[in-house]
Amino acid sequence: MTSKDELFKSLVAEHQEMVINTCYRFVFNREDAEDLAQDVFVELFRSLDQFREEAKLSTWIYRIAVTKSLDHLRRIKRKKRFSSLKRIIGVTDPTEEIAAPGNDNPADALVGNERAAILQEALDSLPDSQKTAFLLSKQEGYSQQEIADILKTSVSAVESLVHRAKKNLHNKLYTYYTEH
Amino acid sequence: MKKYDENIEKEVSKTLMLLDDMSPLELHQQFRVRLMQRVEREFGEGRKGHFTSHVDFRLAFMGLLLFVNLGSAALTLIDGARQTTATISELLDNQSFDYTNQDLAYYDQAASIPAVTETNQTP
Repeated sequence: MTSKDELFKSLVAEHQEMVINTCYRFVFNREDAEDLAQDVFVELFRSLDQFREEAKLSTWIYRIAVTKSLDHLRRIKRKKRFSSLKRIIGVTDPTEEIAAPGNDNPADALVGNERAAILQEALDSLPDSQKTAFLLSKQEGYSQQEIADILKTSVSAVESLVHRAKKNLHNKLYTYYTEH
Repeated sequence: MKKYDENIEKEVSKTLMLLDDMSPLELHQQFRVRLMQRVEREFGEGRKGHFTSHVDFRLAFMGLLLFVNLGSAALTLIDGARQTTATISELLDNQSFDYTNQDLAYYDQAASIPAVTETNQTP
């Protein structure tokens, strides 16, 4: 086993829970979070040689996790847009008719939960920086400084982003519940 | 109206509370096994392939260098041999030229003189 393999194994052991939970905050789904976490570590393995110690290794890993999660959300958004377009033109996708998995697993309690869907919709409408700052601030284990490092910004900018995210979320949810 | 607002606010805070109530995920026991299998699948072969292709490239390059070296050596040898052959044939030619040249072929002079006289007499 090479020293790279050993380093990789120790990094996985050290950061796997944090990475999975970070992805989970973004996607609200255990399976997707695990798949994304795998992608994060595969990416880590691929580019471990290129890591320059400009930032902490943990910050770098969590930044990859955030980027992968945001990419995943963007993909879902595109897919949704595309399927609604298909619905308009009258083409149906058989995969859409397959029932969503149930939430027997307590960790998947958010899947199929209407309130969670509303929250996710509101979160999706936020700009990426606000969404990231807000979601990371809600997760245990991230200090303000670490969030600032992940976002490559200052602590005061993070505070401002979180504040704006809270305000925007509140407004969006308020509007939603007023209309429904 | 105030009650209506209060209800909405309650709904909003209930929805936002979901994020605070999200319990951390327990790691699946197979997560690391699957991850290592994937890394092995994606990079194990890749690393092997990378190594062999690296070796192949080096071997091919060495082969090319050897070919170029041998080729240039062969060219030099062939050229040298051609030059040698040329020198020998030149020597032989020169030698034969020395003895068969018309200028020096004084022993044929008698035969050639009448022809010259003939040509001189024609006009």
